[in-house]
Amino acid sequence: MAAYLAHYLVMAAIYTILALSLNLLIGYAGIFSLAHAAIYGIGAYASALVALRFGFGFWGGLVIAALVGALAAALVAIPSLRAAGDYYLVASFGLQVVILTVFMNWTELTNGHAGLPAIPRPVVFGWVVDTPFKYVALALALAALTYLVCQRLTSSPFGRVLQAVRDDEIAAAAMGKDVVRVKIVVAVLSSALGAVAGSLYAHYITYINPSSFTLHESIFIATLVILGGTERLAGPLVGAFLLLAIPEALKFLAIPDAVAAPVRQILYGGLLVLFMFVRPEGILGRRRVRSTRAAAGAAS
Amino acid sequence: MDLVLQLFATGVVVGSLYALCTLGWGLIYGTTLHFHVAHGAVFTLAAYYAYVGQKVVGLPLPVAAVAAVILAAASGLLIDRLLYQPLERRGAVRTTLFIASLGTLILVENTLAIVFTPDPLRMDIGILQTSIRLGPVFLTALHLLTVALVIVAAAALMLFLRHTRSGQAIRAVASAPEMARTVGVDLRRIHLLTYAIGSAISAPAGILVAMDVGAEPYRGTTFVLLASVGVIMGGIGSIPGALLGGLFLGLIENLGVWKIPSEWQSALSFGVFLLFILVRPRGFFGRRVASAEL
Amino acid sequence: MTAPPVLAVERLRKTFGGIQAVDDCSFDVWPGVITGLIGPNGAGKTTIFNLVSGFLRADGGSVRLRGRELLGRAPHEIERRGVARTFQQLRLWNKMTVLDHVRLGCQSTAGENVVTLFLHPHRVRVDERRARARALEVLDFFGLADRADELAEDLAYPEQKLLSMARILATDADVLLLDEPTSGLDTEWLQRIVPIVRGLVTRGKTVLLIEHNIALVSELSDQVVFLHQGRVLARGRPEQITKDPALTEIYFGV
Repeated sequence: MAAYLAHYLVMAAIYTILALSLNLLIGYAGIFSLAHAAIYGIGAYASALVALRFGFGFWGGLVIAALVGALAAALVAIPSLRAAGDYYLVASFGLQVVILTVFMNWTELTNGHAGLPAIPRPVVFGWVVDTPFKYVALALALAALTYLVCQRLTSSPFGRVLQAVRDDEIAAAAMGKDVVRVKIVVAVLSSALGAVAGSLYAHYITYINPSSFTLHESIFIATLVILGGTERLAGPLVGAFLLLAIPEALKFLAIPDAVAAPVRQILYGGLLVLFMFVRPEGILGRRRVRSTRAAAGAAS
Repeated sequence: MDLVLQLFATGVVVGSLYALCTLGWGLIYGTTLHFHVAHGAVFTLAAYYAYVGQKVVGLPLPVAAVAAVILAAASGLLIDRLLYQPLERRGAVRTTLFIASLGTLILVENTLAIVFTPDPLRMDIGILQTSIRLGPVFLTALHLLTVALVIVAAAALMLFLRHTRSGQAIRAVASAPEMARTVGVDLRRIHLLTYAIGSAISAPAGILVAMDVGAEPYRGTTFVLLASVGVIMGGIGSIPGALLGGLFLGLIENLGVWKIPSEWQSALSFGVFLLFILVRPRGFFGRRVASAEL
Repeated sequence: MTAPPVLAVERLRKTFGGIQAVDDCSFDVWPGVITGLIGPNGAGKTTIFNLVSGFLRADGGSVRLRGRELLGRAPHEIERRGVARTFQQLRLWNKMTVLDHVRLGCQSTAGENVVTLFLHPHRVRVDERRARARALEVLDFFGLADRADELAEDLAYPEQKLLSMARILATDADVLLLDEPTSGLDTEWLQRIVPIVRGLVTRGKTVLLIEHNIALVSELSDQVVFLHQGRVLARGRPEQITKDPALTEIYFGV
């Protein structure tokens, strides 16, 4: 039972990092991304590969993961954010597909569908993390660190600029803010953090394969963020802990294995639609007074 | 050389399928600015409507197909009526609509997966299976039907938009919604019409794919997202652009196989896409970039 | 007017799908003076603002700020060069405080740079204090200092209009484009806003404003540019323009 709870806590912490980082994009920059699972995977593979091939330690792997994730995001963000919000959405979908294809087919590097086994346990300051309890400590510590980083970011002058860009980017541009640059910075940061989650995951499960990093996974992470609430920093945290409990709760309902996955998806899809009608700001969002936005004025 | 021609031909066929999707999705996106991912659900539903029509109800294939298109058009219309319009009345922003659309897509796909199982369900396509030879190229009657359909659909859409009052109203809404409203256009009615037409145009793509390889619950997601890529590459608000965008995607995918292993097809398509928007975000024929402009 | 113009608009052109919204417009804006753009609805006034501030791409002509071309530049670059504008619909950030609106105007605070934010927290703190002080000073000028911590959406409309001006005053821009600063205000607020706009000039700013209220034009502008159907019909002192019967007829007759 304790091991079970520990597993839940570690995964909840990993998904908290994923959700917090994705929320930087969705909630704070106002950009939707469908590629977060790909970024997650990039972090996992990058970290695993440098550990397996070059004997990198945990921290080294983490840094490499963050850098590669950031680079991938930059490659996509720079051309697409110059155009407009929807372009990033489509480009992120593209990135997701391309990265997954790389995971599945660049077999010399990633071993394809077979995946990478025997990823070494993390060694943190000389301390080998090999028991559930130690993993929980490491994971929660990293999640807390991510939270602090996001908090520093969002409650700073940069956070102010983000809010301006999200709420009315035309006004932000009129005030001299380079909207595109701001969005690119957020995309890069978000991906660096998401890749860190991947690194943690790889060293925890010690085996990774492409099936963990699909488009469905991207949608799942987005669901965590949206249901938890995009307006508050703690929203994604709530989303992660709550939604990870759902599959476990569903297990008690004795749903046949064959339909378990679609049933879970129906639940997520249904929740998304329901929330958009009833509480689009999410569980932790501030209830706002609805108002229709007037369109920009024409010539006078 | 024969191989290249064959790949080119298949590329045109697949491109036509994509073009049906880009035409329909592009019409909806260009007019309503909704990122309607649930269009993928309509695509998938069309396939299952046709399957059920033929295999469960026992209708002849053409009847089942036409009925499926009509039902798909109704489904698309219902999504606007029951999902987007009520949300907009509550003051929902575009991201909210997108999320609701995504949720709907997931709901529909997975419900179909439970009801019909995830396995592809094949239909009897009879004479459409016959192989036809055009020089060194082999195609089936179904393939030729696909290409013919997209030409007809594009022509019909162009005529409709240019020469009918409803079509002109749709164009007015697409280029300047506020101004259209001022001159008395009923935006809600135009949206419903747009959804019905857009869904009707893309439905055949879902049906044709089902006729070729069977109806599957999850295919719609890929098609709708590819449609959005095609629309951006072709240029938002342009019918020739949508055609070209879809065709381009189909050709990259198939011609790519000549030099690049087939597993890398999609990576190639998206790589080209990213390069494209770097160089020409407006797309082939786009008048405007979908941005928050004044 | 012996000083060279700060802003020189020359033969500016913009067409919208067949309609010539701005047609061969030329006028100059001088420092230390309020220039008013007036004309009937649809004359092209806001379009000119949009063209000058970079939100619309011009079809031809040139806009020079102290001799340097502005056309073709992105809006944020134009603001950095020294031209800031307000919007007729205000475009405030509803959930943001009044103080934050103005603080956003204080350029290149260290905290807006992510690297500095994490590596030099001290520098960020110093910059923030400076920005806060400057913001409060600007708010004080507009009489909004006591509303500093309120959300923009909780302000009364006239105060929101002042806020939209306050945030651009906080920037270093010396040319301010005010889009209908007096529209929607009652007579009491009109009395208050005229000296505020004049006060901007006293602070060294150059003001170009769009004004709809012909009665206010003389109070609010030193120079007037009369626009009609995208063309400049007349330029001169307010009295010359407002007393001209032909122009008045155009203004009210359309």
